[in-house]
Amino acid sequence: MIELPRWLDAVDRELVINIRALAITLLLLFASASAAHAGEVQTIAHPSVNVKQLTKLELRRIFSRKQTLWENGLPIVVYVLPSKDKLHQRFSKEVLRIFPYQLDRIWNKLTYSGIGTAPVIVNSYQAMHDAISTTPGAIGYSENMEKGGNIHVINIKE
Amino acid sequence: MLSTLRNKVVSCSYSLLGLLVVSSTSLALATEQSAFSQNNLQIHGFLSQGIAKSIGSDFVNDDQDASLELTEVGINASYKISPTLRAAGQLVYIDGGNRYADGARLDYLLLDWSAYQSHDWQMNVYLGRFKNYNWLYSSTRDVPHTRPSIVLPQAMYFDGFRDIAVGGDGIATSIKHGNEQLGDFEFNLSFGTSEISDKQRAIILSEFATGDMEHDYDAQMSIFWQPIDSQWRFGWSVLDSDFSYTAGSADIFVDTDIILQRFILNALYEAENWEFSSEVFQERFKLTGFYSPYFQRDTKGQGFYFQTRYQLTQDLKLLARFERFFANKDDKSGVVQEQATGGAIPAYFGFQHDKVLGLSYDLADNVRIQFEHHWVEGTARLTPVVLPNANINDEKYWNMWALQLMYWF
Repeated sequence: MIELPRWLDAVDRELVINIRALAITLLLLFASASAAHAGEVQTIAHPSVNVKQLTKLELRRIFSRKQTLWENGLPIVVYVLPSKDKLHQRFSKEVLRIFPYQLDRIWNKLTYSGIGTAPVIVNSYQAMHDAISTTPGAIGYSENMEKGGNIHVINIKE
Repeated sequence: MLSTLRNKVVSCSYSLLGLLVVSSTSLALATEQSAFSQNNLQIHGFLSQGIAKSIGSDFVNDDQDASLELTEVGINASYKISPTLRAAGQLVYIDGGNRYADGARLDYLLLDWSAYQSHDWQMNVYLGRFKNYNWLYSSTRDVPHTRPSIVLPQAMYFDGFRDIAVGGDGIATSIKHGNEQLGDFEFNLSFGTSEISDKQRAIILSEFATGDMEHDYDAQMSIFWQPIDSQWRFGWSVLDSDFSYTAGSADIFVDTDIILQRFILNALYEAENWEFSSEVFQERFKLTGFYSPYFQRDTKGQGFYFQTRYQLTQDLKLLARFERFFANKDDKSGVVQEQATGGAIPAYFGFQHDKVLGLSYDLADNVRIQFEHHWVEGTARLTPVVLPNANINDEKYWNMWALQLMYWF
């Protein structure tokens, strides 16, 4: 038990303890809120993508647009958020293990030299969810996805 | 034979482009916002304007005043015909002053066939007008936001050769392989020549050459390798091309054959906040004729650059580059050429070395402003190439700066 300063002897000790409890509660609330903000990044796809698991290397080939067809022959449609978006940066670095500027560079070459097509950029989480749930062959990412809906979560292993 | 093939490809390309533009516009209008248009049709572009000034050379313009001849605009469309077949085309308008022939052109227009695909092997075949996919910055050399600097290293990306180095009309293939132990491999091969405009002919030869210049043959190959989990990527590339010049009726020059061959090594290192890139090359330039039927020149030029970029903040990037070029590796000081021409071509036309500092700032997601300053010694990478202009370019040391605002979508 921490010793309280002497001048506090005059104050109601119970009140001090209550204030301390309140401070701890607020701190915990804040911590859990920021944990929710930086939740787990998930790789999501349209249900037509019947793939349960991908390695990081396979996922990197898909997002760098080297692999453009699923094994069942369905074209892969990649959706991403703008490159300065926090979630995009986390997905890029933590899941794909590639810096966002490297992805931009790969996609710019595809878009402006005619050699391929870059992912489609959507501007919000909601637009990402809507696009993935309505586009056969679609793949993208999200955080703290609730189960259900027309979206399938792909397990990513090393 | 290649030029006949090229003419056919070009005429097919133009009809295909018309079709592509008409169909994509109508599709975009008819099915706007629909999943179909979003997944099968993509339209992108870029728009930029800058100001550039060369002091002590005619690199930008003859009068050496600050010039607005720094415009690059482009629009492209890609349309997926089937899961393995795609058509894509881009129109550009570019103006770089004296650096290259200004004007609008069809930058690329191709059919892309995904010939084979598995999770670790991909093979594509491109037919039509394609870009040069073999050097670090060659495939998007006119797209400002994809370049490290406004003016690319002239040793390697000499603007005087832009139209013949930018791509070709013919056939190209790309094979990619991802190996769990060895890393990623990419192999590119292309056969395709390009059309040489009157202005490009004047840039290469001389404004007094009134005949017809043809690009008869062009083969290019490159291999890139990125070791597994490595920040490094290494590349090797070769180029072999032939040109011919048929003298005009009242021409002071005679029929000419030119062979241009290149051997290139490149390396790229990409870290989170900084990067390093370098290209080293040797090129053979063999010229037979031009001044007289018996004239022959066969020289090997050498060049390299080292470049680093540092990301200071999310939006601000700094650039530093060191560049060396020797037009003839056996006459690096240019003195032999000066003596051979009785002083008509000064020794400093034998080399061109450049030091560059620059910065770029992202004003918004798709808007950037870029500035750079060049300190140059020598004039070997100024135009015209074969018959240099020593009257305007009478200084060994010269400077250049450029500022460019760019937008892309």
